[in-house]
Amino acid sequence: MKKLFKSNWWKYICVCLLVYVSTWGLLSDVPRLPILNETIRVLHFHVPMWFGMIFLFLGSVIYSIKQLGNPSERNDLISCELAKIGTIFGILGILTGMFWATFTWGEPWSSDPKQNASAVGLLIYFAYFFLRGSITDEQQKARISAVYNIFAFVALIPLLFILPRMTDSLHPGNGGNPGFNAYDLDSSLRAIFYPAVIGWTLLGYWIATLKIRKGLIEIKIDA
Amino acid sequence: MNNVIHLLKKDFQIDIRLKYPFIGLILYLFSVVFLLYYSFSLGLKTEVWNSLLWITVLFVATNAIAKSFIQETNRNLYYYFISSPLAILTSKLIYSFCFLCTLCVISFGLFSILLGYPGNNQFWFWVNLTLGCLGISSAFTMISALSAKTNSAGVMMVILGFPVILPIIILGSSNSNILLLGGSITDISDNLITLFSVDLVIIALAYILFPYSWKS
Repeated sequence: MKKLFKSNWWKYICVCLLVYVSTWGLLSDVPRLPILNETIRVLHFHVPMWFGMIFLFLGSVIYSIKQLGNPSERNDLISCELAKIGTIFGILGILTGMFWATFTWGEPWSSDPKQNASAVGLLIYFAYFFLRGSITDEQQKARISAVYNIFAFVALIPLLFILPRMTDSLHPGNGGNPGFNAYDLDSSLRAIFYPAVIGWTLLGYWIATLKIRKGLIEIKIDA
Repeated sequence: MNNVIHLLKKDFQIDIRLKYPFIGLILYLFSVVFLLYYSFSLGLKTEVWNSLLWITVLFVATNAIAKSFIQETNRNLYYYFISSPLAILTSKLIYSFCFLCTLCVISFGLFSILLGYPGNNQFWFWVNLTLGCLGISSAFTMISALSAKTNSAGVMMVILGFPVILPIIILGSSNSNILLLGGSITDISDNLITLFSVDLVIIALAYILFPYSWKS
């Protein structure tokens, strides 16, 4: 995280990747598949949101663990801001997913286990922000919310990665459907998809670092 | 270990002397089941019976286990000085597990009397229900320790608890659904192991995280 604050090179990479993804992702040839057709381009915008969300939440949990070992306003701020941006990514993921589902599955919400699980996952983080709002003492707020963050993140793992695989799902990779590798993710799509994952995740961290730097300045002014 | 036994004894003694929290919960259960009996007087499908049982257990659990830490916020400082956090957590976990199991047996009894018992495979149904209770009680114990620190403990308990509890409810109710519809243990053994491991993960996390939420 310290390196991300001090250096700029990754921001250039992020811009290049996202320009590449949003132009080439919309212009390049895509495989013609029944039902999916051109909507497969949403892949570069929908799936990376979830990857970005998980990476941001992971960062948030790491800083929560640091906060418990070494309580400081800085750790608390970082973990809270990463969780906020992660939640925004999650909301965007749900919206893009619903958009995609309208054209492929016929309706925006078809009670797919992964859809439900991700909605619950977002509920966890709304509860986290609610918890932060309801404790007035700053140190107590930092510690209790860090504990809940870790607890909830671990509870989220079976919800997102184990349970959907046990029931039938419309998503690839669940309930006997082939996973990503066996799916029709051919090399031309992959050449855009992986940069998209990296690019969107970097963008998330970029927004988070801006908010964290603002927060750190505010802490300094208050002190 | 000695501390754990004393703390457990204290918790049970509070229940025996006060009586009203426990009896209140039983009345709560009775009204819920009676309400269900009236609303489903035309008879109900096995799946519906199963999900109603789990929902009832879940709602009783929120009310029952909320009291484990929220009840005694003024005495927490005293416990903090006389025993280690792990001893307190162990006693609370055992206590809320026993408490929830008792309530579970009572609600099952009321369900069987008023709504009938649709299955026949008793043993594994109970194993599954017990594992579900273990998960629900330990997760809610941890959540109640957290929500006791906030301004609105009762609301926090529900908001923080439900998303965490959901995997357990999904696994448990789908298991018992399969059993009630005539499945055998081989159909659910994988799910049962997953449920047990989710329980273990929650308990392990509670042991790691509780000391941090306790000291304040």
